[in-house]
Amino acid sequence: MKLIFALLLLAASAAHAAPRVFVTNEEGNDVSVIDTEQNKVIATIPVGKRPRGIGVAPDGKEIYVAISGDNAIAVIDPGTLKLVRSFNSGEDPETFAVHPNGNLYISNEENAKASVFNPKTGELVAEIKVGLEPEGVAISPDGSHAIVTSESTNMLHLIAIPSHKTVANILVGARPRAASFSRDGKTAYATSEISGEVKKVDVATGKIIGRAPLADDKAKPKDILPSRDGKRLFVAGGRANRVFVLDEASLAIQHEIPVGNRVWGLALNAAGTRLYTTDGASAQVSVIDTVANKVVATVPVGKMPWGIAIVE
Amino acid sequence: MTPTHFVCRWLKLLVTLATLGTATVQAELLVPIGYAGDPAASGWLGAQQGHREAQIQGDFLGQRYTLTPRLSEVSAIVAAVPPAALQALARAHPGVAVLNITVTDDAIRTACQPNLLHVIPSQKMLADARAQWQKAHPDSPAEAKAWHPAFEKYAASQLNKRYTEATGKPMDDVAWAGWAAVKMVSDLVAREQTADPAALLQALRLKLAFDGQKGSDLSFRDNGQLRQPLLLVDKGKLLGEAPVRGVAAVEDLDSLGLVPCAGQP
Repeated sequence: MKLIFALLLLAASAAHAAPRVFVTNEEGNDVSVIDTEQNKVIATIPVGKRPRGIGVAPDGKEIYVAISGDNAIAVIDPGTLKLVRSFNSGEDPETFAVHPNGNLYISNEENAKASVFNPKTGELVAEIKVGLEPEGVAISPDGSHAIVTSESTNMLHLIAIPSHKTVANILVGARPRAASFSRDGKTAYATSEISGEVKKVDVATGKIIGRAPLADDKAKPKDILPSRDGKRLFVAGGRANRVFVLDEASLAIQHEIPVGNRVWGLALNAAGTRLYTTDGASAQVSVIDTVANKVVATVPVGKMPWGIAIVE
Repeated sequence: MTPTHFVCRWLKLLVTLATLGTATVQAELLVPIGYAGDPAASGWLGAQQGHREAQIQGDFLGQRYTLTPRLSEVSAIVAAVPPAALQALARAHPGVAVLNITVTDDAIRTACQPNLLHVIPSQKMLADARAQWQKAHPDSPAEAKAWHPAFEKYAASQLNKRYTEATGKPMDDVAWAGWAAVKMVSDLVAREQTADPAALLQALRLKLAFDGQKGSDLSFRDNGQLRQPLLLVDKGKLLGEAPVRGVAAVEDLDSLGLVPCAGQP
């Protein structure tokens, strides 16, 4: 009886295990795993040379890491926390997005293209011509569109899936970095590093419908994520060393939350209550309470943390 | 149908097709850029690299760029010519941006010809960068440069790699300036949707926000000089960047060689 009870308890606690945050350490060549209940690193997984982009399979059973130095995608099992395989991804993969069908849309920084890979087979499914120095990739929640930013040609390429035809090429501020979609897929958001601004795009027309400078010379913004209720946008402020919280409708800055140095990556938990940031130059992750709009914990991780993803 | 009718019908069809054909071509904005200078020198190679990249963007956005030695009826001129010829060129093409990519003389910067813009840094900028470095690192001799083929930060390595793959040569200051001159014109053409030289000259002077793969917002000073970070180099080895941290604010690009126009305080 006691044994059954103990087993049930074990099963219950396993089922309610805290979400884990996975962080790529660009110079450490490894991935830090954070238990979000203790806000502590519980494992460090060596991957390959220069890990950057990170993403989670739709079923949560695999984690993908872009290893730009090895021209590969590494696959991690989130249960065993082991590297299980890797596959060739085309040259210099920097970031990628995971499509609801499981495919990875990867920006190949050194070439002017994005590649689509099936991560189960390692097969190249498609190549899409984009502008110079592609970086950010985002996919709409329904999988109907992708955005790829091309940094040197200052464009957002809006691409229809599955045809992979470019439906709009939108000129934005200098050096666009990251992009994301609203939950309903009707709006897209992008940050431009050199012009220090955020742009809002209407997906149906491919037109820019909003633009906000971040009012800070040093802000070289990178990741941008909508809140779960869609009413706010979180922007990683780069060397401004803070996270900007914007009103989604007006793009007005509502809060500025100081974090560590050179904040680039953002990840939001499913409930939308915790925002995790990679503070690259401070070798740490900041944990933000999105209701109180303040940092509630910082977690030291590896060298030059870059990408960040949550598995719940 | 009479033979005349028949011929008329065919003529009408041909005219319609020809008009449709022209209409499709007219949808592209033609942007001719002139180049004055020695085609055997690195400035031309750099400008050609800029042209290739401008056309990548142009293919997406509907612009067609040409880069040729023709200087009449162009949207802008890239110039790799000596000082006297440079000033004469600017006077000969009023209202057209002349982008200097080779001459570093300070005197030309104070002359402040309204259509003469300098992409390459001036002697004073190079001297100020050297002086800042010397102050922070007294035992480390260095010279200042606009670019270096081993510069990696801010996507510099991507540019260096593209240039070397295309030309087989390392990218030097003048090649970078040639590349930058064409790219800044194409960036403004795309944003302003115009190939008109006067509109582009004004946009270059007032609206440019271009990073040149050097990580900062590059823009033109009133005297036509492009403000920009510089690199400190010793015996071919890259040592650091200017404005030099600790001596000047890293973003204070005007701490390097800012000079007023002659006749101004």
